[in-house]
This record gives sequence, C-alpha cells and structure tokens, in this order.
Amino acid sequence: MIETIGRKTIEGIENLGRFSRFVARTFGAMAQCLFKPRTYPLIWAQMYTIGVQSVPVVMATGAFVGMILAIQTYGQLASMGLEERLGVLINIAVVKELGPVLAAVMLAGRVGGALTAELGTMNVTEQIAAVQSMGTNPIRYLVAPRVLACLLLTPLLIIYADLLGILGGYLISVWQLKINAGAYWNYSAIGVERWDVCTGILKGFFFGGAIALISCYKGFTCREGAQGVGEACTEAFVGCFISILALNYIFAVVLDAVYKSFWPIRPLL
Amino acid sequence: MPRKIVKPEDGILVAQNITKQFGERVVLENISIAIEKAKTTVIIGPSGCGKTVFMKHLIVLERPTEGSVYFKGERIDDKEEHRLAKIRTQFGFCFQMGALFDSLTVYENITFPVEQHYKIKDYKALADTVKQKLAMVGMDGFQNYYPASLSGGQKKRVSLARAIALNPEIILYDEPTTGLDPITSDVINELIIKLQKELAATSVVVTHDMKSAYKIADRIIMFHKGRIIADGDADHIRNHPHDVVQQFIHGKVSEAELAALRLGGTKFETQFLPEDFE
Repeated sequence: MIETIGRKTIEGIENLGRFSRFVARTFGAMAQCLFKPRTYPLIWAQMYTIGVQSVPVVMATGAFVGMILAIQTYGQLASMGLEERLGVLINIAVVKELGPVLAAVMLAGRVGGALTAELGTMNVTEQIAAVQSMGTNPIRYLVAPRVLACLLLTPLLIIYADLLGILGGYLISVWQLKINAGAYWNYSAIGVERWDVCTGILKGFFFGGAIALISCYKGFTCREGAQGVGEACTEAFVGCFISILALNYIFAVVLDAVYKSFWPIRPLL
Repeated sequence: MPRKIVKPEDGILVAQNITKQFGERVVLENISIAIEKAKTTVIIGPSGCGKTVFMKHLIVLERPTEGSVYFKGERIDDKEEHRLAKIRTQFGFCFQMGALFDSLTVYENITFPVEQHYKIKDYKALADTVKQKLAMVGMDGFQNYYPASLSGGQKKRVSLARAIALNPEIILYDEPTTGLDPITSDVINELIIKLQKELAATSVVVTHDMKSAYKIADRIIMFHKGRIIADGDADHIRNHPHDVVQQFIHGKVSEAELAALRLGGTKFETQFLPEDFE
C-alpha cells in the first residue's frame, strides 16, 4: 500500500517534470517560429484546422448556453417581478464564465482529441522519429505551430461563443418570453462591464495553451499500438478538462482580487 | 567472443562500449563497433536482440546508458538536440515501416528534408531532383500519390528515396526487406547495392533476412541477447562455430525450444472447445 502510494507519487513527479521540460522546449520553439517566416504556412494550416473549422461547434455551444440560461432563469426572476433583468444575468454568465469555459471544453474535445490522435499515430508509426532523424526539431515542426494556433485562436473562438450566447439569450428572452427589448439591453449594458468581457477573452489564451500543450504532450508520449493512442486521447481530454476548470478557478480568485484592488481608483481609470 | 577495443578514429561511425538499459532490462551490453567508410555493414540477429535500438544509437535517436558514439572522430551522443540537427543531415534513415508522412504526398515527403534545411529558390530544379531520386528507386511518376495508396514495397522505395534526399554519407536501413515478398525483397537488395555504389555511401543495415545479408554485406555482425557473438565477412559467418549463429543462419529451432514446444502438449490436448466453457 505505502509502496504503491510512493511509486505513484514518484511517477507523478517524474511525469510533471517531463511535461515541464516539454512546455519549456515548446515555448523556445514557438519563439523561433515567430521569427522565421518559413514556418508561417505551418501556423496558417493549423489555424485553419483548429480555428476556422471549430467556429460552427463553438457558435452552437454559445447559442445553446444563452438559450438555456434564458429558459432556466426566467421563472425565478419572473416570480420576483425582475424578469426585465434577465439580460444582465444571461450576458454576464455568458461572457464571464460559461462562454469561455464551455467553448474551451468543446475545443478540448474537438481539437485536443484530434491533436493527440494525430501526433500519437505519428509517434507509434515512427513519423516523429523520422522528422528527428532528418535533423528537424519535431517540437518546432509539429508542436509549436499547433500550440501557437490554439493559443491565438481560442480567444477569438470565445468571442464567437459569447456573441452567439448573447444572441441566443436575446432571442429566447425577447421573442419567446416577451421581455421588453429595450429594458433587456439597458440592464445588460449597466450590469456587464468591459472588465467582464475582457477577462473572459483573456482566459482563452490560457485555456487554448493548456489544451494544445496537454494534447501534444500526450500524443508525443503515447504508448505503442491502437490502445496506446486511445488511452492517450482519453487522458488528454480528461487532463484538458481538469486544467480548464482549475485555471478557471485560479482566474476567479486572482481576477477578483485584482478587480477589488482597482475598485477604489476605477473612476480615475 | 573476445571484446575488441575500438577507438573513435577506427571508422566513420564508432560505437564504443554501448550499454542501454530500459528500466531494469538491459537491451545492449557493452557493444563496440567501428563502421568502415563506404562499406555495407549488416547487423543480424533474432527479433528483440537489440539491433534496431543499437542502430537508433548511431543517429542518437536513443542515447546510451553507458558508452559513447563518434561520427568522424567527434563524440555525438552527448550533444544537445539542436547541435545534432546538422550532423543528422549527413545521415539517411530508412525506417522499418517506411515512416512516410501520411499527410504529405510522395513529392512532399522527399522535399521535406530539403525544405527544412535549405532555402528553395528554384522549384523547377527541386522537382527535377525529386524526379531523379525517385527514378533511382524506380518510383518516378508517383510524385502525387499519398503513402496510403502505395504497397509495402513501394513505401520502402519512397522511404529510400527520402533517405537519400540530402545525399547523405551514411544510410541506415532498419529491416528493409521485412514483410516483403521475395521478389520485392530482392529489388530492395539491389537498390541498396546500387545506392551504395552510386553514392559511395556507408551503409548500415539491420535485418534478419540472411539471403539479403549475404547479398549486400561487406561485413556481418550478429547480435544475441544484446551482445555481439559473431563479426566478419559472409564466409566467416557461414562457417562460424557458435551454435546460435548456425541455428540463426539456417533458420533452425534449438533443441531446448523444441522441448518447450513438446511440453506445451499436442494440438488436440490444448484446443479450446466451446463446450468447455458452456
């Protein structure tokens, strides 16, 4: 029992160390990529796969979040006569928490799974070793463009999710639940601050980075065979999901502290 | 077999006292080999004896637990990855399953190493070079094919063409004839001989195909359980007194293995029948 706990702890620390080295090498490779225009086509290609092709699913996620929030919260607010404030509730939830988190979870499933499966298959079929054997750094060629694409485009995808979330909430609230459109937007404008929108988008950089790094690492270190690739995909998704939630918690604490410390000088800013 | 002492200057590529362990398992034990320039060295041995692991040490895709690897007298196994990049361009590695990039066409696979290391200005000249490399392996005309649509033999040929894309000084072949029919295997053997002659490259071939080994080798080294048990030319290996060498080259099962098979019982005694589980 104690032996098992000890072994698992050592394995966990070793794994963390390997992941940290992988992250450090990836950041080094990303810096090289940014200064080498020759690598830009690789980044554009990944941006298309990771970003452009994810737009429909992320928009659908955002729209449903807004619509569901409207339906679920209307009854509660209406019973207190506050249904006109539905907009502020939906929009703040969408731009601050649900839009970024659910868009990131959707990306973890769509992009993270694909990255792990692709790199994992390349690993077990020795394609990564082939890249290395030809004198090319596989992290620079395979990982850095993917991480850069994910890092840069996740915030943009979150904007899409937010927009569709706001629109979905508006459509249900105003068209189906017959809330006054002017009141809906007025209360939203008062309640939702620029700070909320910006922090929601800022989270995207970190969520995107976490998704790409974890997924690529799992692909690079996956065990041989179809089962190995399958396990790596599962571990990557679980790892991404937990990281998104953990990062979101850290953001909630840190940003709240930052907001409170700037509150007294807010009018000056 | 008495252990030879090799020095870094004994060959173009030298492995000195290489030991490799994966956890508790020792895969290579104190291997020392000096690969001679412009010769074909064939490493034979049963599956799992450490041949491929050893070959990966030569290009530092694996790093030794103990020992060192020298290329042109310079130690390379302790170099960092970015320093190895330049050295690796002087190697061509032909992987067992081809390891062609399945998202790229044959043309893109072959231009990959060139585009990674040179700034291409004349794409017409590049296309001509690709055509020439593919013609060398009899695959001209397949430029726009994806690896998935090629047969096993064709993949190996394209892999060969990619390995020679940068005109390497050393070509490493990992089981080039495994899984191929006898005629295609012979085509690959002829290609290895042709490339060695035309490019004057040093070749290291890992195989367990004795027909192929006799045909292409200037020197044959046999591995057994992570150690060298025979080293010499084809005749030396043919007449080697070691039982394991004779069994391997004649493809004969040992008495001990036969006894183990007999202990396993006859087919009928061990056959699983559905009624046993109902």
